[in-house]
Amino acid sequence: MAYVALSEAEKTYILHGVEDDFRCDGRSRRDYRPMDLETGLVSNASGSARLRLANTDILVGVKTEIDVPNPLTPEFGKLEFFVDCSANATPEFEGRGGSDLAQELILSLQNAYESPLAFNYRTLCLIPGQQCWKLYIDILILECGGNLHDAVSLAAKAALFNTKLPRVTATMLDAGITDLIISDNPYDCTRIGIETVPLLVTVCKIGDYVLVDPSAEEEVCSTVSMVVSVSMRNGQAFLSGTHLTGGGAMHRDTMRNCLELGLAIGEHLDRLLTKMLNLEQQRVGLKRPQIVGFLK
Amino acid sequence: MLAVNQTKNTLLDGASIEEEPYTTPQESEDFFESLDKPSREPTQLAPRNTFIRAGVLTTVRGSAYMEYGNTKVLAIVAPPKELIRASARRMNMGVLNCYVNFAAFSTGDLDSVPERERHLSSMLTKAMEPVVCRTEFLNFQLDIRVLILDDDGCLLSTAINCCGVALVECGISTYDLITASTACIYRDHVFLNPSAKVEELLWKHRNSSTDSTTSPSSAQEHGLIITASMDTFEQIAQCQQCGYLSPATYVKLLDYTLAINKSLRELVKGVLTKRVKEQHELDLREKAETALEDQRLEEIIEKLKKQGPEEFIQSNIREDPYVKRQ
Repeated sequence: MAYVALSEAEKTYILHGVEDDFRCDGRSRRDYRPMDLETGLVSNASGSARLRLANTDILVGVKTEIDVPNPLTPEFGKLEFFVDCSANATPEFEGRGGSDLAQELILSLQNAYESPLAFNYRTLCLIPGQQCWKLYIDILILECGGNLHDAVSLAAKAALFNTKLPRVTATMLDAGITDLIISDNPYDCTRIGIETVPLLVTVCKIGDYVLVDPSAEEEVCSTVSMVVSVSMRNGQAFLSGTHLTGGGAMHRDTMRNCLELGLAIGEHLDRLLTKMLNLEQQRVGLKRPQIVGFLK
Repeated sequence: MLAVNQTKNTLLDGASIEEEPYTTPQESEDFFESLDKPSREPTQLAPRNTFIRAGVLTTVRGSAYMEYGNTKVLAIVAPPKELIRASARRMNMGVLNCYVNFAAFSTGDLDSVPERERHLSSMLTKAMEPVVCRTEFLNFQLDIRVLILDDDGCLLSTAINCCGVALVECGISTYDLITASTACIYRDHVFLNPSAKVEELLWKHRNSSTDSTTSPSSAQEHGLIITASMDTFEQIAQCQQCGYLSPATYVKLLDYTLAINKSLRELVKGVLTKRVKEQHELDLREKAETALEDQRLEEIIEKLKKQGPEEFIQSNIREDPYVKRQ
């Protein structure tokens, strides 16, 4: 993660705050920092979302393309992630400095979205074996304020919700060749179902306690974190990709605590995100909020 | 799925058009039926047939070779070297880099090798970081290179085991021995130490989730878990999970892998102990030879003291017939 210079006294201060369940910014161990989420910012992209989680700023754009399916999975579409660590986020990302962090985030997201139960790739299929949609999910990190895994996955899920795929009709020509006609009406589109799309929750171990949504300072104090990927299905939480990060080790009981906390927080976060996205979608006409983007 | 409208070409009146241009392949179904599936609950938690050898290469200080079933892995550890460009991020700890390379003949699927190398390198680095005492080589970087000779599943866990042995052979300070194992679940069957075919079945042939559309109430759990643990204080160094698992299944698979890690740990300990004994015997033999040389030298010294240097030299000179005595 991005580098934050902390002295031993500052680390001890943060550690004591975590032990007393009163972190240095006033939160408890299970609290998230305030989030701003806005969709539909980028008009050129099929779907877009911007998430601001206190000091962390993420912009996600989804672009669509028609591609040939993988021969081994002919009924599935394709998904590709790309993370760009902007040099504006921190000077260390200049040049190739952010490639390690970007690669780690890409692997986390790929792992979480790998299972066809976590993301329904069949909805991206046009003609089995011949044509399918390919979604490019490009993530731009504009500011690093800690907890990038959660922010990136929330923004990606919101962008997928906002994605509009144009309606495609097919005409069967001679000898089984199919011709595709893509509608140019911007309102003639289909949406992607995001019910089971996973969310990443980072559970951070500081001292003897575990907490969610670590800030950049708290990440420096931690020796190990567990990234839990939570996917909701029929009101039940499943794990679709989990790993440890941070360079330390943890006990099995601590891992179970991290798992329980991550699942509980992931469930709540998913429900709240879906509710807010549906609420925003229903605002039409005069009640539609003004898109402010970065002018706030 | 897309509805296909059929338009008849009047020029080819009477031509037959394929009604179903595509059908789902049945390869995954046939393959899964042909597997000798284990019982739903594994009866014994044991690793595969394992061969580990430390110190297989003479040109590097730390090296290890491991066979885990048919998976063959070679690990090389070089002593830490100084960082060319220091940065503020690494001021208080050394840097650990792991590089994984596949031999050209090691796997049948060559298209995904670069991506797999990147993924394995990242996961291996994360797994080895907790085990190395990185505070002992500030501003230095430690490079670990892994060469995959044959891939039959359990690749990351085998590489972690091999690197752990190579680190001890090289003399790098470690907090503990590290062992790793893999478990996966597919259609309610638990595969411990899955082979490459089972792993391929999980990721490549993903059509098996057809059942979930017909019965959406129960999701077909499938997934793979790789656990690396240091068992002296029961620490988990890395736990990597892929697939779609419920929390109860996750904990169950975690416990299975931790039990296998304990068995592997005894095996690794035996290998390292044998290695130390071999080194000790070599040292003893070398010491005996040195003592023999010292004894022979002392005899010569005693002879010199008795006879004196002049007589000693005289007694060794033979008379030269060509030189006449005057």
